[in-house]
Amino acid sequence: MNREMLKFSHVAAGYGEREVLKDITMSVKEGEFVGLIGSNGTGKSTLIKCISGLLPLKNGTIMICGKENSALKNRERAQMVAVVPQSYHVGYDFTVEDIVMMGRNPYLSLRKKEGTEDYAIVEEAMKATNTEEFRDRLYNELSGGERQRVILARAIAQKPRIILLDEPTSALDIHHQIEVMELITRLNQEEYVTVLAVLHDINMASRFCQRIVMLQDGAVFADGTPQEVINHSNMERMYQMKLMIRKNPLFHKPEIVPIRVMEEEKAATRRHIHIICGADGAVKLIEELDERGYEVTVGVVNQGSGDWDICQELGVTCVEAEPFTPITWEKQAENLKLMEDAEVILVADVPFGQSNLMNLQGLENLSGKIYFHKNALSSDHTGGALVKRLEEIGRVKKITYFGDHDEVLREL
Amino acid sequence: MKKGSRKWLVAGSVLLCLIIMYLCTLTGVASISFWDANRILLHEVFHLDISMEGITEGSITIIQNVRLPRVVLGFLTGASLAICGAGFQGIFKNPMADPFVLGVSSGAALGASIGIIFQFGSGFLGMNSTTLLAFVGAFLTIGLVYNISKIGKKVPMATLLLSGIAVSQTLAAAMSILMIMNRQDMDQIMFWTMGSLNGKGWSQIVMILPYVILGTVLLFTSCRELDIMLTGEEAAIQLGVNVEFVKKKVLFASTLITAAVISVTGIIGFVGLVVPHVVRMIAGPKHRGLMPLSLIFGGTFLIICDTLARSMAVWEIPVGIITALCGGPFFVYLLRKMKRGGNFS
Repeated sequence: MNREMLKFSHVAAGYGEREVLKDITMSVKEGEFVGLIGSNGTGKSTLIKCISGLLPLKNGTIMICGKENSALKNRERAQMVAVVPQSYHVGYDFTVEDIVMMGRNPYLSLRKKEGTEDYAIVEEAMKATNTEEFRDRLYNELSGGERQRVILARAIAQKPRIILLDEPTSALDIHHQIEVMELITRLNQEEYVTVLAVLHDINMASRFCQRIVMLQDGAVFADGTPQEVINHSNMERMYQMKLMIRKNPLFHKPEIVPIRVMEEEKAATRRHIHIICGADGAVKLIEELDERGYEVTVGVVNQGSGDWDICQELGVTCVEAEPFTPITWEKQAENLKLMEDAEVILVADVPFGQSNLMNLQGLENLSGKIYFHKNALSSDHTGGALVKRLEEIGRVKKITYFGDHDEVLREL
Repeated sequence: MKKGSRKWLVAGSVLLCLIIMYLCTLTGVASISFWDANRILLHEVFHLDISMEGITEGSITIIQNVRLPRVVLGFLTGASLAICGAGFQGIFKNPMADPFVLGVSSGAALGASIGIIFQFGSGFLGMNSTTLLAFVGAFLTIGLVYNISKIGKKVPMATLLLSGIAVSQTLAAAMSILMIMNRQDMDQIMFWTMGSLNGKGWSQIVMILPYVILGTVLLFTSCRELDIMLTGEEAAIQLGVNVEFVKKKVLFASTLITAAVISVTGIIGFVGLVVPHVVRMIAGPKHRGLMPLSLIFGGTFLIICDTLARSMAVWEIPVGIITALCGGPFFVYLLRKMKRGGNFS
């Protein structure tokens, strides 16, 4: 179980003068499903090339099943390691069965031609990947998803101990992406094949891999379970952009949501804006205001709502209440305290009912300008109480109504 | 193509080839009747006890020492060029490659020109000086091209093709200079470069046969690897193919065969280019079918061309002209067809 299938020590490699991999040291144990992530150009595919014998190392060693890689013949290596590339084009009319049979090459020689056993293995590989129905069709005429399954069948026919995947799903639609990943997972679990996969899609890596290795600048930057590796600081570092990380409720794995690359112009002074919200309507507004450098506070939001999530993600101060409980006066007092020195108080697109009408108590005594989203009026479940409340506030100070968030952002 | 149907296709082509060989042996400028020719064949080749009444010595010599060796040499030449073409197209992964793509022909032609001009008296191993120098020229050229493009232990195919073109052009220029400076030999050199089986007999066949057999064995034992290399060099390495070794093996085998054959016949174009194409259209890209079928088709094609060359006109036409005349337009037709299909195979 704990045999080291792949062991890299101080691996350096590159193209010409350019060194892509600088110092990689890690190991992969038998039966593991490891995802290799990293931004473009960090050397993920280069590492795959080094293992599969396409690129000689400049320094360090790679051990495959305890054997020094550079001493292996292509044939010996191919009996242990199979590679599934990104997409695989063939300029000649080979049938699907021809292509899968090529997987048997490492076991054939001048003296040993393909025999019954090889045909049986090819058959089995095609069955496992659901490709036997088009065995006689030309590989060239298949769709991308079908081709990828054929290449997977070829890899299976190699009877490898390790499968290397280089962005196996990047050219496929989601149906075929998941299909290929499920096939690989099955191979990993049932045949105990060790998998090392370069994956572009972090969410795919998080969902299918037991362990994730993140490369950065030609070295291992993070290594651990998806929960350990896919965190805010690693991901921002990797992609150089704003993103959000949340737990996928279905798979209980971290999931990233990319937000923005371009940085907005920062506000000159840190103006304080308070947002009253509580459902999911203010997520983008909170994020944008925070990004622009405003001091944002939020309240009162129920735990578990989208607005609450984003506050947690971005570290925005907020007054929170337990889910599905009415907002108490105590909470609102806390909220009012937060709003005290706010220059602007924004009531976002939030449906009002009896339980959260409390959010509007006491606004008339504050110094900040009040903006109110018109949509909130049309999703009024208070039976008139909301309008009454607004009138009360309106008697003391001006309420500016607005139609969408961009309008407010421009005005600010 | 299924294994079974491939066997039938090979068997059928062999039969067709034998029939054409037979018919071409009967055809010729000398008037030997159909019946007489058959009698000579049965008596001299199959040693059957048949009365040879009324058949002149001359007729027997024509059949036995002129037509038969020409048919056999024609087959050998066509077969050799076609399998070398298939091999080159395999390692270059390029359907436009032919046995001459790396400059074998220019090297051989330059060697032959030197031989023709300087008329060295002695030969070697049964070769006259022209043949010998053509053979040496061909080998030296490939050696030069190969070493120019070698980077470390690897030989990138694109570099190999380009240096092949460069060396080839240079040698052609050198040959032109030789020709201009030795106008009296111009005709002979011109004829050599057009390729012909005229005046060749059993001794030439015996001379080139060992090279052809050795090269053919080397090519036929690379079929599985060549198939895989057609799908890409990197993939081939990952599937356990020793790509650099296969390249060297195919290059060496093809050069050996081509150099031996053209040193005897001169340059015969288009066979190596067109035949593997046609076979690929019929039997698919797998070399296990492609190689034997190219051998049979190439051989048959050249026998037909040579028979046309020697019997169409009063003067013998160099067979290289006939192959180009048939092959050129046919190749254009293939290109047009491919353009529509968008596929090279």
